[in-house]
Amino acid sequence: MTTTGVEQVLPQLIKQNGATLGRLLANGNVGYAKERAGGRMHARVRIPPDELVWDPTVLIMPHGGELELELVNDDMNTHCALLPSNGDSQFIWLVNHSRGTATLHLDGPGYYWYSSPTGNDEGRGLTGAIVVMGDVPEDARLDRPKQPRP
Amino acid sequence: MAKATEYVDAGHAVDQATLTFVTGSAPPVARNVTYERILRARSEPHNWLTYYGAYDGQRYSPLEQINTQNVRRLTPAWVFQCGATGLQAGATTYAFEAAPVVVDGVMYVTGWDGWCWALDARTGEELWRYKHAIPFDVSLCCGNVNRGVAVARGKVFYVTQNAHVIALDATNGKPVWDKAFGDVRAGESATLAPLIIKDLVIVGSSGGEFGVRGHLDAFNFETGEHVWRCYTVPKPGEPGSDTWPAKGEAWARGGANCWITGTYDPEMNLLYVGTGNPAPDFDGDVRPGDNLYTDSLVAVDPDNGQIRFHYQYNPHDVWDYDSISEHILFEMDGRKAMAHFDKNGYCFILDRTNGQLIRVFPFVDRITWGDIDANGKVTPKVFPDKEGEPVHFWPGPAGAKEWTHAAYSPKTELLYAPVQDIGATATRRRREFKESIPYWGAGVQVDAEDIAGSISAFDPRTGNEVWRWRNSVPMCASVLATGGDLVFAGEPGGNFNAFNARTGELLWQFQCGSGHHSSPTTYSVGGKQYIAVPSGWGGWVEGFVPGMLGAPHGAALFVFALPD
Repeated sequence: MTTTGVEQVLPQLIKQNGATLGRLLANGNVGYAKERAGGRMHARVRIPPDELVWDPTVLIMPHGGELELELVNDDMNTHCALLPSNGDSQFIWLVNHSRGTATLHLDGPGYYWYSSPTGNDEGRGLTGAIVVMGDVPEDARLDRPKQPRP
Repeated sequence: MAKATEYVDAGHAVDQATLTFVTGSAPPVARNVTYERILRARSEPHNWLTYYGAYDGQRYSPLEQINTQNVRRLTPAWVFQCGATGLQAGATTYAFEAAPVVVDGVMYVTGWDGWCWALDARTGEELWRYKHAIPFDVSLCCGNVNRGVAVARGKVFYVTQNAHVIALDATNGKPVWDKAFGDVRAGESATLAPLIIKDLVIVGSSGGEFGVRGHLDAFNFETGEHVWRCYTVPKPGEPGSDTWPAKGEAWARGGANCWITGTYDPEMNLLYVGTGNPAPDFDGDVRPGDNLYTDSLVAVDPDNGQIRFHYQYNPHDVWDYDSISEHILFEMDGRKAMAHFDKNGYCFILDRTNGQLIRVFPFVDRITWGDIDANGKVTPKVFPDKEGEPVHFWPGPAGAKEWTHAAYSPKTELLYAPVQDIGATATRRRREFKESIPYWGAGVQVDAEDIAGSISAFDPRTGNEVWRWRNSVPMCASVLATGGDLVFAGEPGGNFNAFNARTGELLWQFQCGSGHHSSPTTYSVGGKQYIAVPSGWGGWVEGFVPGMLGAPHGAALFVFALPD
């Protein structure tokens, strides 16, 4: 059996009201947070018109820490964002053509989902991922020889 | 030239808690919780100061306002609910497993997926919350769960599924310090309630199903400074290393995780911790030897993390019989004893000054994996030693008693255990070790039929069963014993039950709507006694009652009291 990327086989899966009613999750663009002096990171995600998707859909942080996230709603409808952060999840309303910010504190490594929890934005496609790269601190790791990984 | 879009200013994102009635502050009751108070926890029975209620792990409260005469009038006082929002790790297997801790009218309790709450223990009002963000892809063998907090000197301590230990300000839930103590890339996680001893907060790692090397860690509870680490699998050359193959790295993947809170004897200055299964769970041929200190009691000096002595319950385990369950400390005929109900179906009474066996007796009807004689000699009989050949044995890998806790009443001098009579079939399937990938060495299917359970009372002096309340499915929740001569225990089907501690008669029950896999506690506020029990079915259900994988999946904390 051979496998092929979703977008090549059935591009209708990654658009609104194509093959599916909404858009298959986690099949959008990938973006990277930029690290600024002091280690704080910054990134921007946008909701393009009528796509019901976060762009980028997958946002990558080089390591755990503080992320200043700019959220832009370029859609003609109101959405919102519920974002993971140590302490409490962060919530923001994003009316049509609005722009806001959120400060997130995330451990690494691992990845986290976030979404627009209104209506079923989450199922339609407004579910994004934040990927945190890196390793846990050296003193938290196991005292053992380097082990094989998948 | 096109005009640039003028955006509406959406402002800055806010804490989700600001969109609730959460006040964000709690009375400073935890400020004066000292080590000395925890030592004497049972002398202030209106509180449940530490995970087991007291260092001895008895899960016994002298409170007697609710008793055998009036328990039939018990009604819900309040219910706290949270529910699961959005995508979370272990979305289908999360469970509400905590033991609520109560200090002078404030309850501190944890949930799945990084939740920690402070509640008004009289009304259930949410005072503050802390929600740690948990990676969706963290390795969780047995559900997205957490078993509770420790409280001391104005701080609330708990661990997260991605193996951090966090100190929160008990008045507002704000973090004071946060330390990682496990490697999520290696498959480590954390689920236990921390334990305060002196100026230390002591935690342990989970992840035995992923081939990690188990450890305990101690941190200064004021500063978060790491004080010691105690590995429960020795490196080559260390004591016990001769129980592992001399060649290769089996020791480095050996398991023995300490994923349940220990008990503590201040006179002996010893911390008693049960360790988990060896890895791979079922394929013993890749790790010949007894595999210390897997499936063992380890008595640890809390001042330096050194193991003083041990008792191994399942040498060279190939049934996944973790021995993580509590060691209940009690006095018996002038002797410092402790009781441990092992997954293997036997209850061990040990001398806690030296780890010597006093008595061992079976506490479940069906034990076919092997037997243990009166001297503690272990004779394996049935185990998955041939590749691809299914082997059925009782108890299954969830054990005749899982992590959920037994209780001991000094009033009745009886032990009360939640019993699981359920078998399983394991078929050895050798696989290579790869970091973070499950490392079982077998395919396993737990019985969905011909199963049973009970709450059983035992006399530790004789090993005799004094009474048994039978259930059609295994009993998978911790037991609580009280001075009102009552024993409380929840069922997988959602009923929360009160039994006569002397006879086992079922006196009262309440249907909570979701199964029990937690640890009920009791306390009083303003002279009124309450019984608190988290209800939220989940965790490793395929291990302890696979026939109830479809049961309602709640997430509510019920608190009961007598009517005014």
